[in-house]
Amino acid sequence: MTEAAVHIEPATMLVRLKIWRFNAQTGEKELRDYEIDAPEWACLLDVLDLIKDKVDGTLAYRKSCRMMICGSCGMRMDGKAVLACKERMKPIVDSGHVPVISAMGNLPIVKDLVVDMGPFWNKIKAVKPWLDPGYDEVAERERVVSQQQMNVIHKEALCIMCGCCVSECNSMESDPDFLGPAALAKGMRFVGDARDHDDIGRLNSYNEEHGIWDCTRCYFCNERCPKGVDPRDAIAKLGAESIKQGIDHDMGAKHANWFVTSAKTTGWLRETELVPKTQGVVSAIKQTKFALKLFRHGKVPLPFPPHVAEEVQESRALFDLVKQQGRDGALGIVQGERGLARIDQDAPEGSSGGWGSRDQADITPGKRPTRGKGGEA
Amino acid sequence: MRVAYYKGCLAALSAKELDSSTKALAPRLGLELVELESVTCCGAGDIHEAEPDYYLHLNARILAYAEATGADTLMTVCNVCTLNLRQANFQLQKDEDLRARVSANLEAVGVPPYSGGVEVKHLLWLIAEGEGYEKLKQAAHKGLKGLRIAPFYGCQILRPSKLLGFEDPDRPWSLEAIIEACGGEAVDYPAKIKCCGFPIIQAREETALGELLQPIEQAMEAGADAMVTPCPLCHLSLDAWQQKLEASTGRAFQMPILHLSQLIGVAAGLEDSELKFKRHVVPVTPVLEKLEA
Repeated sequence: MTEAAVHIEPATMLVRLKIWRFNAQTGEKELRDYEIDAPEWACLLDVLDLIKDKVDGTLAYRKSCRMMICGSCGMRMDGKAVLACKERMKPIVDSGHVPVISAMGNLPIVKDLVVDMGPFWNKIKAVKPWLDPGYDEVAERERVVSQQQMNVIHKEALCIMCGCCVSECNSMESDPDFLGPAALAKGMRFVGDARDHDDIGRLNSYNEEHGIWDCTRCYFCNERCPKGVDPRDAIAKLGAESIKQGIDHDMGAKHANWFVTSAKTTGWLRETELVPKTQGVVSAIKQTKFALKLFRHGKVPLPFPPHVAEEVQESRALFDLVKQQGRDGALGIVQGERGLARIDQDAPEGSSGGWGSRDQADITPGKRPTRGKGGEA
Repeated sequence: MRVAYYKGCLAALSAKELDSSTKALAPRLGLELVELESVTCCGAGDIHEAEPDYYLHLNARILAYAEATGADTLMTVCNVCTLNLRQANFQLQKDEDLRARVSANLEAVGVPPYSGGVEVKHLLWLIAEGEGYEKLKQAAHKGLKGLRIAPFYGCQILRPSKLLGFEDPDRPWSLEAIIEACGGEAVDYPAKIKCCGFPIIQAREETALGELLQPIEQAMEAGADAMVTPCPLCHLSLDAWQQKLEASTGRAFQMPILHLSQLIGVAAGLEDSELKFKRHVVPVTPVLEKLEA
């Protein structure tokens, strides 16, 4: 008898979910409960497929590849943007937690878990998402790009445009026109590409009003990205490249440059001069009333005598030294990525791959929450 | 526990109340602070963006001076310092080639080399669990009489969790644990883990105020008497820019904002001269009156 003849039924589990149903035409919203038997290996997407097949055919969501590469199934679980095909359900079921599934944020909902990706694609298009080699004719020989050159953009090139970063972008919640983490990471993918010849044009365009200096550094994009793109770091690389190229007219760039000046001259941030150095003198004068109120509470320290760090000449000398070593611009950030990548490799065996899971226990003050049974979100 | 203390720019200048309350509190929490004198700004994410290689060296210099004190922990009292120093520290600790180059540069300008032997930890992490937490419970003998406190974490003490990693960035618990240990009641609201808008408050004020509105509005709706934050930049945004938020929304909030060290300080009975509430823009008086009632 061959082994193939033995058929083993996979172990199953009872999965419970709450799903926010939404009808854009009527504006009706409802949090509905679902229960379904699923194989123990099921991910969130498998469970949704089972619900649609066996319980409720009207449930709407997007999917395609089921293997974390097409970027279709971005949605929220307990308010957190995830790829449905990446989230294993077993630990959540074991914890007794009933997760709430909803559509991604910062994009209009079409139906249930399906969002209108139109605004997302418009922003991707706005960063000129194609290679501009600067010539029309194809060269006789292929151009070889070194591994070192590709390392500059290896993270940005991983983007699958699922929208999980955009979903949670805090700046975009406040300014819907912000280009946002996905589009700007795409922009860095071309600015950093050794074959592209339009880096200056690109940087000028990304420095416009709703560009890189809109980023509030909330780091939700890095936290949520299911592919390790780290869009915030990509935005910082664009800032570094802009300043390296002298594209520093934006108040955000002036603000950043003032920190460098402060570190070189007094060591500590020269806070009082930050407003005029960022916004210009005229703007600063318009803010006099506000500044005076802060002054009364000691929030605007007098610039004289300056608060100077001891041995500040060391930090000046360091600046001059590193400027000679040619790691300015994005390279200064890329050089640190090798060390940071090793943090993941050093994670203890059997760990779930970091924080962010929802199977957390109720909190006992003074004790770390165990990863056991959790409460409702 | 002996720790190297890096106060950062704000506690040295516009948020002196953070420095004075931290120093007054430290002995009661079993912390011996060795203050770093010859250090500079961490760059606050701005130097990381403008001159990233310089950012790495400035932070390496801070870490090197911390290591030279013989302490194995560098204690911060600011989210932004915490992220910037931890990020640089990981880059240096986990890449020997990079560390060798940076250390050689440090030595060339007269700074001790850095061997990677320091861990960067925020005050919050030192007292939210273990021995620090036990000391906190003893220190907070006066209590907070059930005052309703809204914890505001801010961003860079939670995210990216790969670099911070103390607690679940979506369901943090440390501030709540401390509020309750001090005899207060922790108020829950969704925006406690979101951005206060401070990094762009000068370059993009309108966008920043749109972000600032969420936590203040939600804390009010949840019935908070005051908010507490572990970050002086969040504090500046929540406290000093609250008047601009009131002007732009036409609403009155008057939400008192406490530094973490002040909240514990009140429960531990620190002096006015250490708490320095007069340095706040939004008066803390209503909170203090409730405690005295």
